[in-house]
Amino acid sequence: MLELKQDKLVFRFPELHKHAVCSIDFQRTLRIPDDNREYPLPPSLGRFPIEHTEDHTSGLPSRWAEHGGVLLPMYQSEALWINFSGGYPFAIKIATGKINAVTGKQWTNHLVKKPQDYLVVPDQPWLDGYCVQKGLIRQFVAMPLGDGYTAEEQLTGKAEHGGLQIVVYPMKRVHYEAMMKGQSHRNHEDLCFSVHEMSAPSEMGLAPGGLMRQEIYEDEYGFDAWDLDASSRCFVHILNSNQWNNVTGKPIPGSPPSAVDYTEAGLPWFEFYDDKSNPLQGSTKLAGLDSVAAKTLKLGEKPMKNNEAVTPTKINSLGPNTAKVIDGKW
Amino acid sequence: MKAFGDHIRQVRETLRKDNKTFSLRQVAGRIKVEPAYLSKIERNVFPPPSEEVILKLANELGLDGDVLLAMAGKLSSELQQVILERPKLFADLLREMKSAPDHAILRVVREVKDGKW
Repeated sequence: MLELKQDKLVFRFPELHKHAVCSIDFQRTLRIPDDNREYPLPPSLGRFPIEHTEDHTSGLPSRWAEHGGVLLPMYQSEALWINFSGGYPFAIKIATGKINAVTGKQWTNHLVKKPQDYLVVPDQPWLDGYCVQKGLIRQFVAMPLGDGYTAEEQLTGKAEHGGLQIVVYPMKRVHYEAMMKGQSHRNHEDLCFSVHEMSAPSEMGLAPGGLMRQEIYEDEYGFDAWDLDASSRCFVHILNSNQWNNVTGKPIPGSPPSAVDYTEAGLPWFEFYDDKSNPLQGSTKLAGLDSVAAKTLKLGEKPMKNNEAVTPTKINSLGPNTAKVIDGKW
Repeated sequence: MKAFGDHIRQVRETLRKDNKTFSLRQVAGRIKVEPAYLSKIERNVFPPPSEEVILKLANELGLDGDVLLAMAGKLSSELQQVILERPKLFADLLREMKSAPDHAILRVVREVKDGKW
């Protein structure tokens, strides 16, 4: 079962195990410069608000109501990272516009063993973008669906789905209980571009942004560990923040700071080290995508604002037993 | 149900064994009440404090705010507001669920719909 609680998606499988719970939330963050330099992990700037799609169907495309799921607001060119919480192991597939963020392949509901098209929680505490190379991702950046920037449009030629898609598979009970018997498992713990005024809601998708040092870990539990008969899905529709109040009646979130302003304020970035886990190699399909900055140049659009290089000087190290600082305020 | 004061004292003292910052004086300082006042609450000399102070205590001691309020014989103003907005609906629901086992109550949740995609 899937609940929405305090802007978190909470996946539960009580019929499987009382501890089979996994939470996913979406964190506001800095958009790192899209300049082919590698950056450390940016901070959290708080959770994105989420609403049930079915509570706000008037004024939304009818297919959004068919999808069900939830709504989330993002400004054009705003970035996002996905935060995973919970101690019970899950295999989780993430796609944007139905393009798998780990492999670049088209969405399927089932898990694929090779190449591994899912990530494993709690070993993977978060996902900031598309897995383009071993140890490198390109940041998730929101762009209007239909302008040619999103991973979906670049790979399929179509602007059909947008948003984010998630499916989770819990570990089989027998595997979990065997694991718990002898082991302890880790516990983890106002960018506003002018947009066209549109009468219809502005559908957003995610596109590849700047490069960030982040590893997506191999499944060390083994494919047989996952209960393929138990799964739960969610379609996360992304709506332009400027329309959030019109559609939901809720206040529009403030715009996030630029990477330059944040860094000049002396605030920390992060590195995460887990030398016990093996990272995936990355997807050549995803590596071949144009980043937002590159696409902007190719399309002859004005260069991106707030894309100056930064040199983070304060970088906090995190390991498997620490948690990324969240709710950084400034 | 254990008295409110006894409960918070027990929790605080247990925490203090491993962490000296949970002394009466320090906890009182963090929740912005006089130590003498907190001491009287813990000894049940004074009745439980206001909702605001109870929630600060819950946060400090790692306790659930709603449970601690209930121990003090209170319902949060937030929950009161929820009920008052649709009193008949919630009154009927609560009466119906009054004797239901825990697992049945837990199933009364709002699920996120998964449709066709």
